[in-house]
Amino acid sequence: MKRALALVIVAATLAAATHALSQSFSVQLGKNQGPKQPIFYSHELHAGKLGMDCLYCHTGAEKSPIANIPAVGTCMGCHKLAATDRPEVQKLAGYYERGEQVPWVEVYRLPDHVKFNHKRHVKAGVACQTCHGPVEKMPVVYQYSSLKMGWCVSCHRQNIDHPEYPAPMDCLVCHH
Amino acid sequence: MSDSVVYTRRDFLKLVGIGAAGAASGCAPPQAEKLIPYLVAPNDVLPGIPYWYASTCTECPAGCGILVKQREGRAIKIEGNPAHPVNRGGLCARGQAGLQGLYDPDRLKGPMVREGGAWKPVAWDQALRLATEKLAPARGKVALVTSHATGSFHALCGEWATAAGGTHLVYEAFAHESMREANRRTFGQASVPRLDFERATFLIAFGADFLETWLSPVGHARGFATMRARRDGGAFVAVEPRLSLTGANADEWIAIRPGGEMALALGMARTIVTEGLGAAGGSGAAMDALSAYTPEAVEQQTGVPGATVQRLARAFAARRPSLAVAGGIAAQSEQSVALHAAVNLLNHVAGNLGETVHFDRTLNLDAVAPFGEVQNLIAAMGEGRVDALVVHGANPAYAVPAWAGFVPAMDKVPFKISLSSVLDETAEHCDLLLPSTHALESLGDAEPLRGVYAILQPAMQPVPLFDAKPAGDMLIALARGAGFGQSFPDGWRPYLEARWRPLHGRFGGGRDFETFWRETLQKGGVWEEESAATPARWTGAPVFASPELKGTGELALVLYPSPALYDGRGANKPWLQELPDPTTKAVWGSWAEIHPDTAAKLGVRNGQPIKIATEAGSVELPAYVYGGIRPDTVAIPLGQGHTAYGRYAKGCGVNPLSLLSAATDAASGAVAYLSAKATVTVGAQAMDLVVTQREKIQSERVVAEVIPLAALAASAAVPGVSHAGSHDDSLAASAVADSMHGGNADTSHRAPAHRAAHAASGHAPASGAAHHPVHPSQTRPGKYTEPMARPPDYRPPAHAVTAFESEHPARSGRQNPVTEGHYKHAKHRWAMAIDLNSCTGCSACLVACHAENNVPMVGPEPIKRGREMHWIRIERYERKLDGGENDVRFMPMMCQHCGDAPCETVCPVYATYHNPEGLNAQVYNRCVGTRYCSNNCPYKVRAFNFFDYAAPEKPTFAFPEPLNWQLNPDVTVRSKGVMEKCTMCVQRILEGKGNAKDEQRALRDGEIQTACAQTCPTQAIVFGDLVDPESAVSKASHGERRYWVLGDLNTKPGVTYLKKVQRPVEPV
Repeated sequence: MKRALALVIVAATLAAATHALSQSFSVQLGKNQGPKQPIFYSHELHAGKLGMDCLYCHTGAEKSPIANIPAVGTCMGCHKLAATDRPEVQKLAGYYERGEQVPWVEVYRLPDHVKFNHKRHVKAGVACQTCHGPVEKMPVVYQYSSLKMGWCVSCHRQNIDHPEYPAPMDCLVCHH
Repeated sequence: MSDSVVYTRRDFLKLVGIGAAGAASGCAPPQAEKLIPYLVAPNDVLPGIPYWYASTCTECPAGCGILVKQREGRAIKIEGNPAHPVNRGGLCARGQAGLQGLYDPDRLKGPMVREGGAWKPVAWDQALRLATEKLAPARGKVALVTSHATGSFHALCGEWATAAGGTHLVYEAFAHESMREANRRTFGQASVPRLDFERATFLIAFGADFLETWLSPVGHARGFATMRARRDGGAFVAVEPRLSLTGANADEWIAIRPGGEMALALGMARTIVTEGLGAAGGSGAAMDALSAYTPEAVEQQTGVPGATVQRLARAFAARRPSLAVAGGIAAQSEQSVALHAAVNLLNHVAGNLGETVHFDRTLNLDAVAPFGEVQNLIAAMGEGRVDALVVHGANPAYAVPAWAGFVPAMDKVPFKISLSSVLDETAEHCDLLLPSTHALESLGDAEPLRGVYAILQPAMQPVPLFDAKPAGDMLIALARGAGFGQSFPDGWRPYLEARWRPLHGRFGGGRDFETFWRETLQKGGVWEEESAATPARWTGAPVFASPELKGTGELALVLYPSPALYDGRGANKPWLQELPDPTTKAVWGSWAEIHPDTAAKLGVRNGQPIKIATEAGSVELPAYVYGGIRPDTVAIPLGQGHTAYGRYAKGCGVNPLSLLSAATDAASGAVAYLSAKATVTVGAQAMDLVVTQREKIQSERVVAEVIPLAALAASAAVPGVSHAGSHDDSLAASAVADSMHGGNADTSHRAPAHRAAHAASGHAPASGAAHHPVHPSQTRPGKYTEPMARPPDYRPPAHAVTAFESEHPARSGRQNPVTEGHYKHAKHRWAMAIDLNSCTGCSACLVACHAENNVPMVGPEPIKRGREMHWIRIERYERKLDGGENDVRFMPMMCQHCGDAPCETVCPVYATYHNPEGLNAQVYNRCVGTRYCSNNCPYKVRAFNFFDYAAPEKPTFAFPEPLNWQLNPDVTVRSKGVMEKCTMCVQRILEGKGNAKDEQRALRDGEIQTACAQTCPTQAIVFGDLVDPESAVSKASHGERRYWVLGDLNTKPGVTYLKKVQRPVEPV
């Protein structure tokens, strides 16, 4: 009786653990499916077909540790005139007129206790696509890289002897 | 049933545990976070980039220039403005803690009105209407009380009060009216002179705590450190009954009978005159008064031997220019004008007027009301001559001694308005609260020194949790509403601008006003480099008389201002409450200091309760048994014992002002804080004295080392060490000269360790070796004692560079430093040099560190168990505290970033390790909290998070909203169960390296500064790169005074200390 009880407990907990583990991975990897955003904004259109520079909107990427989500005013810079008949643009204009910020859903979430500096990577010549994937082909942006430490370190290890920008392997560079 | 498996309780729990762990490891997917962008991005503001705003500190009347760092719209750090003439880059603990006033969780959320004894929130328009309705009929009977404000706000208050037909009173508890009155009588100028500590070669302080709260402490500290770096002279004598923090820095302590300072000053002046040592001739009535102060008479009055009086007088006259300063709050007696006049006379006869005492750029305290005016107001309020009272910034209900009866008189005023941003004791007695914005959210100006026009500018938008208005706007609105505001412009800003038009003409240099204004905001103000001196000459002295203490007690009661809390205004800031007092190392409370003999007579030990009773009242406090106080004296710090003011201040400690009976200075009307005698008995209530450093005696293991000045001069003659030092009069410069000598042989870039070895060859072993005998196992021949053979061109990798070669033969397993991987690319070895000769123990570095590194304040209970989280502490070591030759040593102690760190080898998870740039790193997310590292750290500099200080849902949460707004986003807020410690501000190192890379240049020395080094008023801490032989830290670390703390452990610290210089008081 007791053995049966123990087996049930072990089986149940293992099953729960497996389910939870698979759940957590499915979020991080593989599904190529981004979250639903409040406005259907297409990177494929803007960065791909229109060929806009990433830095036009994400102004901080080469100047600041934070790449920066563009202000609604930046969008409206064009969309006061451009494509004002589209429902999604009208939604945007609605936010702007109400003086409300757009609650974009975060796609890339850095784990806790890690600091990441966009500026250093962009200045060292790392292309945006290296980490963010072919954004110019993504109608909905999804998390392309795992953002796990092994992923960071694998690239740093490859560039440890880079002649101009040797990638540091010191823990303190990211964990401080 | 024999085959049945019997699970013990323990096994069962294990199984459940495994299951739970499995479930937890793959916990639910993280909830999607929202990214909220700006609606319209402000121009030139980029998230992630800090912006700095120049302003002026308002934490005390000194008016230091500050730079406020803002990130994403929040002010997160205050630093001293290096360009400002008052403080030149340094900032004290109180200034650093200004942010906790801005983010005070107990700030008023909006205007409130008292209704039947309870506070009721009210809308702004309604509140202002109520105020004007009450003010209008009160015209002619209005009183405006503000704290010290110079510049336009002061002018506005004056005009406002005139228009209202009332009075404006500038209330400061520490008004220094005795000094101003004495200067008026003796020099014909009722102002506070500029004191040139820098030039003085001999300094004597008669109770003036010039490194703590007296006048302009940061400016004084800077000059004092320069003076103390001299080889010729630079001696400092403190004359006070209780050894203060300032006195602890003295070479000699004259433990004078309380109130005897004046007699000693006059005795010295008489000796100088009669022996013809002085510059000024002896004549006039003052000289006649001197004749009574023979050394014998002084000995009789003060207990100071006549020979000492003569010795001090001769030293004072021989070393020119010298400087005598007088009269801190602790020495403010009923004859404090006489004391100031006596010290003025001493400066006069020694010829210091115009040499070290200048009446050019005087401290602007002229508007502060003498206490007599406060008493006039109290009388007016009591007699019903005030119908409306408006209070801004000041807290007289707390800071005016109870005997003066401020509170009962105030309660008789029909309508009282408080513009305070917190519910302090004064606001509690008001009828209407109109919260004003904090100084860091306000626009304004200040004239802290004559001729220095400084700016206050908002470093951020007003904290939206608190609905406050600028005080200037409110005063104008009230005046207009009540019908006497016709002369005022529309608001505070136009008023301010109008006041700056004349300055534009003077300093504008032809630029238009907008450009001038913008440049002024960027610089922090405008000032001329020199100010014209107002001629001052000796005009005669008042009658000299010594104070008598009242009461029947046998001990003199000394009340002194707390260096952290000032007059009590810092009490609601946890950074300041948890700042160990520089004297007692006590936190979160009050205490009474008594001499060991007094304690033995009473039969009490340290921390036991004693009852201090005077004619006016009694208090019970834990005793602090302190050798640095006379046996006939008991001392209590001011600033605690609030009954309101906020959660941290309320109920913490006692307010000893209740022990005073009515007593003011005879000539100036100042409150006589030194006026009572007290009876001390054993107390009944058990209470706690929470201290962070119990033992202040070093025993046989000396960690804070000293070197006699004579030995220092002699060492300059040791072969292999430059003689340049002996010709130079500065210790700091000599350190440079020594290191230069080592570098002369080879100007190419050599490894500093080599150069150090070269220089060290001429040195005798450091005194560290002399103090700690080397263990036999360390000298026995064998694997761990023989120095490793190195090729002649050996260059250690950056992380293994040390300031100098270890004198100890013991070898560790790490004699071969890592040279592989990323370690070979490192170019820097970060290190510090700390000059114990400059450190005054002021503890500003602690608060700077807390602010920069998100260090939680844990409260008194954990500290009782030794669980404070400070990353840096100031150790205080005492010896011979019985008057005469004085030996108190202060030593900043933080992680030493050892080359061979004992903590690194014991970490089972590699959470602490040596990084390629020589830092001892701590990785929080790797740490599992074994605490082995802390156990193995010989310096005890690691702090463990026993509780969750960063989790809002926990009772231990240390950052209640909006204190958490101050947190530095570049530094991880640590969670429960991890070890933390000094990182040498690695976030600043990374930022500095990044900036250099962006500009494609090499790092400049001094470009990166740790928070502690940046704020240090005396620049005792130098941070930099040891690999660069020209860096300030390399040069300082190679000076003749260098040593490593616990150097015999061979930890090869990255922090090099420079020994404190012990110097004789008499000329050599």
